[in-house]
Amino acid sequence: MLADLIQNTLDGLTGGAAYALLAVGFTLIFGVLRRVNLSYGAAIMFGVYFATWTSLNFQVGLAALAALTIAGAVLAGAYVERLCFAPHYRSRGSPRASSGSIAAMVASFALWMQFEEAAILALPKHLYAFPPLHAGEPLRFGQFFLRVEALYLLLAAVAVCALLHTILYRTRFGLAVRAVIDVPVAAQLAGINVSWVFVRIFALASAIGGLAGFLIAASHEQVTPMLGMWATIKGMLAMMLGGLGSLPGAVAGGLVLGLLEAHSQWFFGPQMRDLIAYLLIFALLALRPAWMTRWTSTRSAS
Amino acid sequence: MAALLEIKDLVTAYGRIEALRGVSLQVAQGSITCLLGPNGAGKTTLMMSTAGILRPRSGSIRFAGSEIAGAAPHGIVERGIALVPENRLVFPHMTVLENLQAGAYQRNDRDGIASDLERMFARFPRLKERSAQEGGTLSGGEQQMLSVARALMSRPKLMLMDEPSLGLAPLVVEEIFNIIKELHRDGTTIFLVEQNAHMALKVAHHFYLIEQGRITFSGDPGSLAEDEVIHRAYLGSAKA
Repeated sequence: MLADLIQNTLDGLTGGAAYALLAVGFTLIFGVLRRVNLSYGAAIMFGVYFATWTSLNFQVGLAALAALTIAGAVLAGAYVERLCFAPHYRSRGSPRASSGSIAAMVASFALWMQFEEAAILALPKHLYAFPPLHAGEPLRFGQFFLRVEALYLLLAAVAVCALLHTILYRTRFGLAVRAVIDVPVAAQLAGINVSWVFVRIFALASAIGGLAGFLIAASHEQVTPMLGMWATIKGMLAMMLGGLGSLPGAVAGGLVLGLLEAHSQWFFGPQMRDLIAYLLIFALLALRPAWMTRWTSTRSAS
Repeated sequence: MAALLEIKDLVTAYGRIEALRGVSLQVAQGSITCLLGPNGAGKTTLMMSTAGILRPRSGSIRFAGSEIAGAAPHGIVERGIALVPENRLVFPHMTVLENLQAGAYQRNDRDGIASDLERMFARFPRLKERSAQEGGTLSGGEQQMLSVARALMSRPKLMLMDEPSLGLAPLVVEEIFNIIKELHRDGTTIFLVEQNAHMALKVAHHFYLIEQGRITFSGDPGSLAEDEVIHRAYLGSAKA
């Protein structure tokens, strides 16, 4: 019994590390930038498909595959930003500027569908193999196992979290990002090119998504077009558990979600696993709604 | 004196409603020029159009000889115009120091920025005391000082100030006008929008009255009786 609990916890860490990395990207977009970009997960899937398609047609190594995934996701992210979000900074003086965020959200959903269709057109089979990140044995601690991929994912999540914090609070670009989020008009008056700041931060968020997509595909060793939907649901759940707007919270939220899933799968079976995760989010939103605005209503990120 | 800012036939509209209906005016190099008028006359719209936040529908804005109407706000800051906006608009979740650094965003001269920060802190000791505090925690008067200091960090040739005395206590208003006089003495040209006509007429070299999107009077502070100016600045010249 205790042995099962320990092994479940180690399995949960593996899943949770992936969610944590996804949640950091989602937190940057939703919590820090406050942009409801529904196609973020789909852009990750697009990056993974871009790399998979290239590897089926050309000989590429693992590092090149990672670079291709990130490049594909950045391209997709910049495309989403230009098409869905950029028109609303250019419409200066428009009295309908406030309806812009709704329009952007709906448009980003349309692009999600576009990315999925593009992926299915390029690679029509339901499932494609993706090269493994780590071909050898898992780590052994006595009778327990831990997948090596979990360590890579966790390390990446913590490193990205620290890197983002440094960028946001220690660089000139980070100052511009926070100014634009805080009071957009004042940022413009200070001489900050708001449109250019947004392209760059979307590209950065997409690069993080691409890295997450590569590590996840390489530890699942397969890709399907449903990766976009999966990343969106898991990333958003973990982001919400972490309090929507806190980067370390996103990492913690991802790990909690992973552990919760692993244990509930063991005790209640795979059908109940997702149900329990959704129930927890429902309970959190119903009983502690302030949890969600804890960060966004005070500081933009910390 | 030559005009540093020259606005001609400027029209700015919100949808179908024209807030500026052909405004023409000049701000002379080295002057304090003031724009007075009742609420809704188009004062803030004129300021926002000059700073590039609003895109004019037609007309021209020339600054130091080149056309800037319709240019992006960051391009206008680059040319040397800074706006202290209505309601101050400090960054509430950034520290006082970060607010000032944001004002110097386009500059690359580290030493120059550092010495300007020192100058701001010397001029506004309250900001120095609160340099690590978030902008949103400051009092109204302190926020106005911060907004002025932030605009100065870009080293503007022309300062646009939109109602800097709005909602402030009389002593603080006095302080704001002292700062305006100091800035002018240091060589900055100032274009000021004010509700406080009495104070504005004391510092201005030239003033314009704007009513319902049009300039209705232009002259030196002595050229119109002050109570007449105040009446029209608050109520407009109602032709009832």
